[in-house]
Amino acid sequence: MALLYGLIWRLLLILVHINRALVSWVRVRLRSWIGRLWERAIAALLLPLALAGFPDHQKKLNHNPDANAVTGNRAASRRSRWLSDGRSLEKLPVHVGLLVAEEEPSYTDIANLVVWCMAVGISYVSVYDNHGIFRKNNSRMLEEVVRQQQDLLGVDGSKYNVEVLSNSCDKHQHYVVSCRPTVKVLSPEDGKQSIVQAAQQLCRAVENKERSSKDISVSMLDVLLRESKNFPDPELVVKFGPVDSTLGFLPWHIRLTEFISIPSHRNVSYEDLLNALQQYGSCQQRLGQ
Amino acid sequence: MSWIKEDELNLLEKISANVLKAGPMPKHVAFIMDGNRRFARKKHMERQEGHMQGFNKLAETLRWCKHLNIQEVTVYAFSIENFKRTKDEVDGLMELAKQKFLKLLDERENLEKHGVCVRVLGDLEMLPLDLQELIAKAVITTKSHNKCFLNVCFAYTSRYEITNAVREMAWGVEKGLIRASDVSEALLSECLYSSNSPNPDLLIRTSGEVRLSDFLLWQTSHSCLVFQSVLWPEYSFWNLCEAILQYQLNYKSIQKARDLHQEHQALLQLEADRACVAEHLQHHGNGKPADAQRRQEALLHYTTCREERIQDFLEALKHKRDSYFSDLCSKDVLA
Repeated sequence: MALLYGLIWRLLLILVHINRALVSWVRVRLRSWIGRLWERAIAALLLPLALAGFPDHQKKLNHNPDANAVTGNRAASRRSRWLSDGRSLEKLPVHVGLLVAEEEPSYTDIANLVVWCMAVGISYVSVYDNHGIFRKNNSRMLEEVVRQQQDLLGVDGSKYNVEVLSNSCDKHQHYVVSCRPTVKVLSPEDGKQSIVQAAQQLCRAVENKERSSKDISVSMLDVLLRESKNFPDPELVVKFGPVDSTLGFLPWHIRLTEFISIPSHRNVSYEDLLNALQQYGSCQQRLGQ
Repeated sequence: MSWIKEDELNLLEKISANVLKAGPMPKHVAFIMDGNRRFARKKHMERQEGHMQGFNKLAETLRWCKHLNIQEVTVYAFSIENFKRTKDEVDGLMELAKQKFLKLLDERENLEKHGVCVRVLGDLEMLPLDLQELIAKAVITTKSHNKCFLNVCFAYTSRYEITNAVREMAWGVEKGLIRASDVSEALLSECLYSSNSPNPDLLIRTSGEVRLSDFLLWQTSHSCLVFQSVLWPEYSFWNLCEAILQYQLNYKSIQKARDLHQEHQALLQLEADRACVAEHLQHHGNGKPADAQRRQEALLHYTTCREERIQDFLEALKHKRDSYFSDLCSKDVLA
């Protein structure tokens, strides 16, 4: 009997996997089909207008030998579209966490996500994986983000200067935080381990009779944990990958964080991110009341 | 309105339970029972009625968990943030809690029969004294039961719990029971209100919200999180099966992540011990660098001493916590 139940269970799991694979295949197909339809529709509508209504502009484009201007225009239009997308959302998170719960992360895709977040108007972006791979390859992440910035936001992307904050002991990489969008690379050490370090600090103060145990309060611990991070709590964490867990991401800071999942970060599109942000926009926080 | 429902599962439910049990099953499930008030609005009933239905659903869920061999359940009944609600609602919830704990004490024989141990986790000093006394009685009465465990988080938030754990460790340092260098992730876990329970394998939140709301943030760092849109009073056996299936699909990858984390923790502890030993040898050595064997012996000795210290500290902490409950009980007896 147990064998029969075991077989049925395995069958059930296979069915669920097939269902998931089908759903994501349909989603991808639908998106590319709709995308092509949309492009054709726009081309069909705008082509006559372009030919008839704007001869001067057409001439200018044709005669412009500087390709940069063309890509510059494209980048500028993208930037303004993304900025207006951000403004049109009901609410925009100040800090977004990108939690990659997949093996072998793709730096290009993560960099794209970071750049899109900044372009839409998000001030703080953090990137996390539970193996600490991003932290180990900090500089590679920075290079990739800068490169994508150039590609997607154009030459003028320097307005969105990225500050990659790493471990505070790497003094030469630790910049003073300003109002510019900031990227932080996190690893499991920033989670429970930093709470333990703060606890050790407080206990050492008690050991040295500088403080009493009764003084220790939530706000004291909060201040200590914020000291080395300087980031507001993440309002939104976008989780990539099939694993339904936070995998050790900043336990203290995620008390009110909304979690939205995207199946994978590989070949993720801007629309996927925008959907997640729109979903976040419609969340209602009652804060206990 | 009882805490214990004794009905069996119907045939279809039994078959589904057996199919699920063929795979890995969670041993500890945590619930954020959200959606009582929305349910009440939807059914045009009073809010208080919504909360009552919520409690009934809890009793039913415990029955399902028993049939699914889920030994431990933790529920988020009342957050410290909920004190911000209107006085009427808060008073209503306190009154409901008092009724339920009185009922629990009434049913103590039944609880003994089923071996149910009830624990209440939270900053209980924030509650009215009469409720604290009832809670203390309930906890002490069911303390020795060990077939299944129900942890009710009342006047609880995770940040307060973590802060309290840090305060307890600082208290240990003040009393000279432990040193600041003994503070570790494992020790902090032992100082939480939930120290008698393993970490939850599965956390379920109902009503469609996708956040943790300051619930078991430390303990669920490597748990399977399932967010379901059904309102809590409408929760069904099939919703529970769906959540368990999700857990089973995630089992391997979460287990892998947990093992990785534990390995890393063990390494950190070893490094910390080595650092302490090195410092000690430097201070007490005779200027010559110690050989490998001496270092190894010193490390072993240090680790043993540290573990003894920690055991003594945890005993003292347990005694402190037990006294809190027994003092409340004896106060009631004297009154």
